[in-house]
Amino acid sequence: MTHVRSHTQGRGAAPVLLALVVLAALVVLVAACGSSSGSSSASASATPGVLPSPSPGSSITVVYHYPAPPASVLAQFTALTGVKVNWVEVGWDNLQTKIAAAAASNTYFADLTDVDWSKVGQYYKTKWFTPLNSYFDVATLKTDMPQINTFASNNQQLALPFDSSFTVTTLNTKIAKAAGVTTTPATITDYNTALSQIKAKGTVPTPLDIPFAAAEGLSTYWYQVTAAYGGQVLDASYNPLFTSPSSAGYKAMTWMVNAYKSGLVPKANIGVADYQGFTSEMAQGRVASVFSDYAGTVGSIYDVPSTSKVVGQVQYIPTPGVSAAAPNLANPDGIGIPVTAKNVAGALAFIKWFTDTQQQAIWAGLDGPSDVISGFPLPARVSSLQLLTNKVSGAAELTSLLQTSRPVFPGPGAPPWYSQFSNAVYTNIHQAAAGAETVQQAVNNIASQVTQLKASS
Amino acid sequence: MSGERSRTGRKRPRKRGRFLPYILLSPLILFIGALALYPTIVTTVQAFFTVDPVNPPTRFSGLSNFRALVRNPFVRQSAANTILYIIVGVALSTLFGLVIALILQRRSHWRGLILALVVLPWALPAVVEAVIWGWIYDPTFGVLNSVLKSLGLINSYHVWIGIGRIVSIVLIELVQVWQITPLAALLILAALQSIPQELYEAARVDGAGRWAMFKRITLPLVRPGLAVAMVESLILSLNVFDQVYVLNGFAPGGASIMLQTYQISFNNLNFGQGYALSLLATFATMLLSLLILAVVYRRVEF
Repeated sequence: MTHVRSHTQGRGAAPVLLALVVLAALVVLVAACGSSSGSSSASASATPGVLPSPSPGSSITVVYHYPAPPASVLAQFTALTGVKVNWVEVGWDNLQTKIAAAAASNTYFADLTDVDWSKVGQYYKTKWFTPLNSYFDVATLKTDMPQINTFASNNQQLALPFDSSFTVTTLNTKIAKAAGVTTTPATITDYNTALSQIKAKGTVPTPLDIPFAAAEGLSTYWYQVTAAYGGQVLDASYNPLFTSPSSAGYKAMTWMVNAYKSGLVPKANIGVADYQGFTSEMAQGRVASVFSDYAGTVGSIYDVPSTSKVVGQVQYIPTPGVSAAAPNLANPDGIGIPVTAKNVAGALAFIKWFTDTQQQAIWAGLDGPSDVISGFPLPARVSSLQLLTNKVSGAAELTSLLQTSRPVFPGPGAPPWYSQFSNAVYTNIHQAAAGAETVQQAVNNIASQVTQLKASS
Repeated sequence: MSGERSRTGRKRPRKRGRFLPYILLSPLILFIGALALYPTIVTTVQAFFTVDPVNPPTRFSGLSNFRALVRNPFVRQSAANTILYIIVGVALSTLFGLVIALILQRRSHWRGLILALVVLPWALPAVVEAVIWGWIYDPTFGVLNSVLKSLGLINSYHVWIGIGRIVSIVLIELVQVWQITPLAALLILAALQSIPQELYEAARVDGAGRWAMFKRITLPLVRPGLAVAMVESLILSLNVFDQVYVLNGFAPGGASIMLQTYQISFNNLNFGQGYALSLLATFATMLLSLLILAVVYRRVEF
């Protein structure tokens, strides 16, 4: 009996021991998976403008929300540097999640990826991207890259502009003329009159596109309309500037919500996001204007015969303001190096090549449609845009707009809690349009969120 | 000789033989451990920490994540929405699943074809289904508006998703019901097929009608299958994400608790609160599952 009990105890210890070994192996495995920090082949004490030489035969992975440039053009970079490029396209929303998930777990994700203008404050705080000040002469580049400061926070340059982009007003001139609108509306009052006239004539029953889906595009739209009313949403200390009914932000939100409720905007737009509106409404001639469109859409969406019914009809117009043209707000994409990148030298070489004057112009159509990046809005450099004059729709107008475009948050840049702020903005404006809350409630909710975010940061 | 003999003459298994079952099980243990056990432990622990890369360092914060979640009006709204998702999802998928299972139980030439058609929605990815249904619900071109208008049930095209909260949730959940009903049907069908035919024959001899047989024999004896199907539907409805995201984006009117978890974790980068909300969702799943099992499940022996 004793023997049997002793034997049973012996057998009982084995699985416990084995389970402990398996668990230990598991912990080591998971820890190993999460601690791959990669290696950096570049020195942080480099001279600005002088880049470390990449290793020939090495490769870099670029993860971005634009399609890959043509293989033949990428091959030119490989021939130049010996570095092979693996380009992975991931949608913008998913890409932001992947960046956050990879960085939070300190895992290699890509050698180069998107740095959105709105994330710069957040990335400065989280230290997820390698500052580029040591490698690029930012002060010199600024004269040719007007939006380069959008990617700096506290003097740390976290990315270089991948493109240039800013909000701009577009108008279908054919629809406008058919409704008797013969002069370009210069002020918001003129613009409202023009929209009402188009609606009244029945040319287009719902002439204005505002993307009321609860998404980033709705926030961006509000910032631009606020700028048109002569203001901004937060001051330099990130205090709300939109709570008073006489403020620009309040008026802007009221204008947007009223436009929806009065039938200037299609009812379906409560679930329509920004690009969806451009492609399924503006490009199909179902609306006549987008107040806060994105620079480059005329060439990349509205003038594309295979998908657009309004080819040659849509023009950029100076964004109507209170008494004159309003400023246009910058919302460019940047390209940066995550701190977990494995081939920093290769990544730096790629940034330099990709943002070069000639190359930026090629992405937008300098060498013809075969070498463009599909959907690429505008070159980051003024010199590239100048190369495109007479080659790309509206290049001359866009060049001047690029030089005068201004950041959404002048001075300190986007706050580190921008994501939560934008979440509150688009959620509450959506709710106000859907009739679930008033503009006053929406404004109060957003302001309350700002107060909380400031207190907790 | 397959084993050594002890002094008492008993066969003692070799050491390798003693460990073999555990060695064979270890890949599965490793797999489950890596994908379920380890994340569960991390989630449980981190739910009591402030894990926010924008506001470092990671630090113990007790119940503050849970308190913040309770105070967050969007979390409360998404919790209420999720309850509605669960009610609609569990009720409809179980009801439709039972009906389909009863149809499939009958011997018919078309049984194979019907089974294949029924299973099809289950085989499709949720995102694909949501996109397809998005076209159906589309306020401008959608088939739903077109059909309802041609039947004279509506005068003009409606915006179905995004305006009314209840309508949005019911329509979004219908897409999920369409996907999860096949699973419920198969689970109930398996339970139906285990009911001995002799019981029905005896009932017929006693003069029982179809309804009486369904009520007195089928329904009581299919309860284990119903319970499992309901628990499956509960888990899937409580975790609804893809359909909500594709059809309604981040609009709070239809946001589910999983969408809110995603927002808090990956948009707001407040991983601590994300862990806490995941933990609460896990507990809710367990409690509701136990409740369904207690109410619906009955041990059946033939």
